[in-house]
Amino acid sequence: MRSTDERFPALTLAVRNLSRQRVRAGLAALGIVIGVFAVVTLGLLGNALSLAATEELGGLGNQVIVSPAEESGAETLETRDLAAIQRSADGRGTVVPLKVTGGTVTANGGRTVAQVYGTDRPQALFGEGDGSVPAYHRQGAIVGAEVAAELSLRRGSTVRVEGNEYRVVALLPEIESISPLQPDSAVVLPSEEFAAPGFSQVVVRADSAADARAVADEVESRLNGRQQRVSVFSLRSVVDQISEFFGLLNGFLLAIAGVSLVVACVSIFNVMLMTVSERRGEIGVLRAVGIHRSQVLRVLLVEASLLGVVGGAVGALLGTAAVVVTATQTDLPLWAVLQPGNVVVPLGAFAFGVLVALVGGLYPAYRAAWEPPVEALRG
Amino acid sequence: MTPNQKREAESTQLRLEGVTKRYESGGGSVTALEDVDFAVQRGEVVAVVGPSGSGKSTMLNVLGLLDEPTSGSVELRGRPVAGLSPSERTDARRESIGFVFQDFHLLPTLTAVENVRLPTAFLPGDATGRARDLLERVGLGDRLSHTPDELSGGQKQRVALARALVNEPAVLLADEPTGNLDRGTGTRILDEIRGISDGGVGVVAVTHDDLVTEYTDRTVRLVDGVVGGA
Repeated sequence: MRSTDERFPALTLAVRNLSRQRVRAGLAALGIVIGVFAVVTLGLLGNALSLAATEELGGLGNQVIVSPAEESGAETLETRDLAAIQRSADGRGTVVPLKVTGGTVTANGGRTVAQVYGTDRPQALFGEGDGSVPAYHRQGAIVGAEVAAELSLRRGSTVRVEGNEYRVVALLPEIESISPLQPDSAVVLPSEEFAAPGFSQVVVRADSAADARAVADEVESRLNGRQQRVSVFSLRSVVDQISEFFGLLNGFLLAIAGVSLVVACVSIFNVMLMTVSERRGEIGVLRAVGIHRSQVLRVLLVEASLLGVVGGAVGALLGTAAVVVTATQTDLPLWAVLQPGNVVVPLGAFAFGVLVALVGGLYPAYRAAWEPPVEALRG
Repeated sequence: MTPNQKREAESTQLRLEGVTKRYESGGGSVTALEDVDFAVQRGEVVAVVGPSGSGKSTMLNVLGLLDEPTSGSVELRGRPVAGLSPSERTDARRESIGFVFQDFHLLPTLTAVENVRLPTAFLPGDATGRARDLLERVGLGDRLSHTPDELSGGQKQRVALARALVNEPAVLLADEPTGNLDRGTGTRILDEIRGISDGGVGVVAVTHDDLVTEYTDRTVRLVDGVVGGA
């Protein structure tokens, strides 16, 4: 104790003073705990939700789907349309032409109605799955998870689609993110298996959201110049709106949490005011025996800050723990909570808690330290 | 200046010259001190007596650089203190003046040793050793780490005396030092004070306790803010 005293006399005096009114100090710190806890939980939850949602929607925002415009009366895209789309997407993403129809699928004595997609490049569209989805599709059928479950299909099973028999070469994984296609209830065949030559849709998987926008714009200008040949569908603006909504939600939640910190500030102010008015005489003695005003001020500010440091630390730890527990108990993915960028939230809330306590202590400390010692000693 | 006067001037620790202190209160002004001349020498114990409201406390506050006179001058070891900033006055108090109060004014959260070295708390170096020596000198060697609530009134006043001495002051200012003590304990404190002045410290004790005047070299009577002599 000797050495801390010598180096930080203000700290020692402040700790002694706080320990004298433990309940009061505890309650004042509790205000900060609650405020910081609220900021941390709401801030972290908001961030994690927004991250998780962006991740779910990310793929969606990167997709551009081009189909024949209703006004054109065409059912399929022409070869030159396809070429134009290819040129637009050059260097910006993968172009996957797609044939779409519906059909009856039978296997193992069961039957169901499914989407039938025709494409040569299933991996670009549906992902790798467990690694069995081939990059290029030349023969056999790839079956969506729902269809596979309904008809008890495995790799190697035989399935009958619209009268033709195919061997199941791969199963699509169950889709967790939102997608304009419905792979779960689909069967994917090589495009040659379709009688019609044209493609009913072209899906462009852009490399980024910006690329998706550029591709959509360029396809519009190349193909829809004179007349509406194609309709270009992109969910970019929806994704943008959703992100904006999460931004607003976060701000709103933090504002609510901020209010509780303001209340905590008032309570620190009140406690410090009580403390200094009770200790008027003592502070007068300090001044009489040669302790400077600035040194008295320092002792009192350290006292207020300590309330913030303890309250802030407890609040930040509890808040982080609460969000982690929430994530493990709900659908909120833990990775979205444990992002390195999220460290800012508890650290920032802690710093804010300390600042709030310091601000709350400022006026009472100033008033006490600057009071003429004669008056303080008089009582 | 005769050699005698010169010697006296050199040994003067604290001097008031023509000090007047007025308080403005509710429309009128109250004169607490009127043209007071006063000096305390090294090794001298002076009692300031007078009825309550006579200005004793004001005089002690002015002597202790806690309050500024309305007019007149205060000299600490021959240097006028009129132009000092609040911070310089604080330093001057710490370096040259020791205070003892009627109700002791110890910090309840600190032990005896910590209370004694309080004036040095923000200075470099550790005054713990000196604080311990001083407490032993006033007979509290076995109470070093007791807090004030574990000490009797007399013991508290001795801790306060040790605190007043920790910076080796030129002057000790005591405000009713025996006011809250029984006669036996008061005598003990006054013996200590006598001993302190024998070490060269000038002592001014404000009191209306006749016991105190038995221990002093000189008594100054203050009536309605005017020095009435012995």
